[in-house]
Amino acid sequence: MAKARAFVKRLKAVKNIKKITRTMELIATARFKKAMDRATEAAAYTKKIAEIVSDLSNAQLEGFTHPLLKTPEKVEKSVLLVLTSNRGLCGGYNSNVLRHVVARLREVDQTSEQIELDVCGKRGINFLKFQGRKADHSYTNFEDKPRFDEVEELANRYINAFVSGEIQRLDVAYMKFQSVSRQYAVLETLLPLGQLDSKAPSSEPVDYEFLPSPQDILDELVPAAFKARLFKCFLDAAVSEQIARRVAMKGATENASEMIGLLSKQYNRARQSQITSELSEIIGGAAALE
Amino acid sequence: MAKDLQLVVVTPETTLLDEPVAGVRFPLFDGQIGVLPGRTPLVGRLGTGELRITTATEERSFFIDGGFAQIRDNTVTLLTARCVPASQINPDAASKELAEATARPASSDETIDARLRDQDRARRMLEVSRK
Repeated sequence: MAKARAFVKRLKAVKNIKKITRTMELIATARFKKAMDRATEAAAYTKKIAEIVSDLSNAQLEGFTHPLLKTPEKVEKSVLLVLTSNRGLCGGYNSNVLRHVVARLREVDQTSEQIELDVCGKRGINFLKFQGRKADHSYTNFEDKPRFDEVEELANRYINAFVSGEIQRLDVAYMKFQSVSRQYAVLETLLPLGQLDSKAPSSEPVDYEFLPSPQDILDELVPAAFKARLFKCFLDAAVSEQIARRVAMKGATENASEMIGLLSKQYNRARQSQITSELSEIIGGAAALE
Repeated sequence: MAKDLQLVVVTPETTLLDEPVAGVRFPLFDGQIGVLPGRTPLVGRLGTGELRITTATEERSFFIDGGFAQIRDNTVTLLTARCVPASQINPDAASKELAEATARPASSDETIDARLRDQDRARRMLEVSRK
């Protein structure tokens, strides 16, 4: 019975694993829904900011500049912010993001540019440690519910560093969320901010009263727009992580089901062949006695 | 008689309020502003302090921390980084923040500005929580 026993043991193990992956899939689905809701709610803020920008652009704003919008002539030091997950078992989620990071680091190595590496998530921290890169700042507090307060702290640090000329560029590597079925890893340059996205001007421009002047409002609006964009990166990363985990766990559950089918077939065969051989032994023994 | 005023408060995380109100008062960068139905369109910078909402039945108060206001078509939209109902403000935490800001050494212009801002913010928060 030795061989059939081994199959029973493996079958049991696979069934247990299937239970776990199935549960993880369900949890990821629930978390994904929550993260998705948060992302949609946050979209209202970005939309409103774009609206105010377009309102302001109707009020003659030629020649407006803001330190965050200006592209520095020479990049001496840049920051690379990496958003990865704290936990694994989410398929290619982390490795896709980290591939971009490695490419960017290699690019920087060939120039005299300095780089500050900020990493969020245990997976990214461990990967870069393994690569022999030292992360200047590392964070593990961003889980699937990034809070604006936490992101704002980071954003303020970058704004100050950029305005004072310590850094000339900020890149964020993360998994961008496009739709439920499509997310892709990107490396986005967030600073300099470039163009402020504004909504298409509404058909009838409203004659606003500005308190204080449009320039002063824009001065405040630019950092707010940057913070909103950085926050969106975190939200996107959180949503994408849950989707990636759900897909990975779904695949794992399906594979486990397939394996269970295969193993039970093998087990049945092994058991049958054992019975057959035992039977033939008995028949053989009985025949010898006659 | 003008139509009802609609108040929308948006923070980066969520849309906190979206409801009709009779009147609303909030801090602009240089002082309080009161808005009643039928106000002319406005875009303004918010200050720190109390947002007071008057509806037909009650009056509620919130603490808001900077941002922008947009008024058009009888809709007041407030974009703010933080909006906390007055009842949820922790006065102890606010006074601790004030003490911390006061004790912080400041030597350059920027740090002094930052300290003043933090002190101001904590004081206003205390003020709102006491009401």
